[in-house]
Amino acid sequence: MRFAFGSGEGFVPPSTADFNLPPVFGDNAYTTKPIFLVVLSVLLISSFFIVASRKALVVPTKLQFAGESIYGFVRNSIGEEIIGHEFMRFVPFLFTLFTFILTNNVFGIIPLLQFPAMSHVSFPYVLALFSFVIFHWVGIKKQGLGKYLKGIAFMPGVPKAVYILLTPIEVATFFLVRPLTLSLRLFANMFAGHLLLLVFIMGGDHLIRGVIGLKIIAPFAFAFGIGMTFFEFMVQCLQAYIFTLLTALFIAGALSDEH
Amino acid sequence: MAGNEEGALWSIFGYLLSGLIIWGGIGWALDKWLNTGFFLLGGLVLGAGASLYLVWLRFGRE
Repeated sequence: MRFAFGSGEGFVPPSTADFNLPPVFGDNAYTTKPIFLVVLSVLLISSFFIVASRKALVVPTKLQFAGESIYGFVRNSIGEEIIGHEFMRFVPFLFTLFTFILTNNVFGIIPLLQFPAMSHVSFPYVLALFSFVIFHWVGIKKQGLGKYLKGIAFMPGVPKAVYILLTPIEVATFFLVRPLTLSLRLFANMFAGHLLLLVFIMGGDHLIRGVIGLKIIAPFAFAFGIGMTFFEFMVQCLQAYIFTLLTALFIAGALSDEH
Repeated sequence: MAGNEEGALWSIFGYLLSGLIIWGGIGWALDKWLNTGFFLLGGLVLGAGASLYLVWLRFGRE
C-alpha cells in the first residue's frame, strides 16, 4: 500500500475534529476562527449598510439599491406578510437576525474564510434564545401572563378530559421543541454542509496524490465539490430565511389572541 | 402567503415531534419504572394520535 499512495497513509475521512479549530493566539480559547468570523461578519454588515444608506438618493446608486433590496425583502416578505399591522417594531430584530445568519452562513463557501460559524451549535443556541425570549415576552406583554399561558396550554373548543392528552404536547411545543428545532435545524444544515464539502475536496486531494488510476477520478471529486458548493450556497440562504421566517411566525402567534 | 404555508408546515412538524417526545417519554419512563415493555409503544401511538388531533384542531377546523 505504501507504493499505491504517495503519502503512505490511508485516507483519513473528515470528522467532527475538523470543526474544533485551534486557537489563533496561544491557547486562548476565545481567539478561534469562528469567533473572528462572527466579529468580521458584524463589521462587514454594519459598514455595508452604513455606506449603502448614508446618502439616500431618490434615484438610488447600485449599492443603495442592494442594501434597500435586502431590507425591503425582510420588511415586506417576512415582517409585514407574517406579523401584520404591528410588524414595524420587529423589523430591526428580524433584519439583524437575517443578515447576521446569512453572512455567517455564506462565509462557509467564501475562499480563505470557508467556515460557517453556525456549525458550532452554541451560536444557533444563542440566536434561538433571543427568538425564544422575544416571542414569549411579546405575548406576555400583549395578553398578560395568565391569558397568554392559558392560550398556549388550553386550546378552545375541546372536551375537558382531552386536555390531559393535549396540554403536555402544547407546552412542550412552545417551550422546548420550538427553540430546539429552530437552533438545531440551522446547526445541522451548516454542519452537514461543511462536512460534505470537506469529504469531496479532501477526497479529491487524496485521490490526486494516488496512483494514475486514482488521479483520473480526482477531477470528478473536485467537480462534485464545486457543484456542492453552489448547492450549499442555496442551503445557506434558505436556512437564514427559514430561521427569520419562523421567528416572525412565533411572534405573530404570540401577538394573536388565539393560537 | 407562501410564508404562512411554510410556517404551518413547520408548526405541524413541531407538534408531531413534541407529541412523540412527550407521550413516548412518559411511556418509556413507565416501562423503566414498572419493568414492562409495552408502554413505550403505547405512548408513541398515543402521542402521534394526539398530535394529529391537535394539528387538525389548529389547521383543519376552518
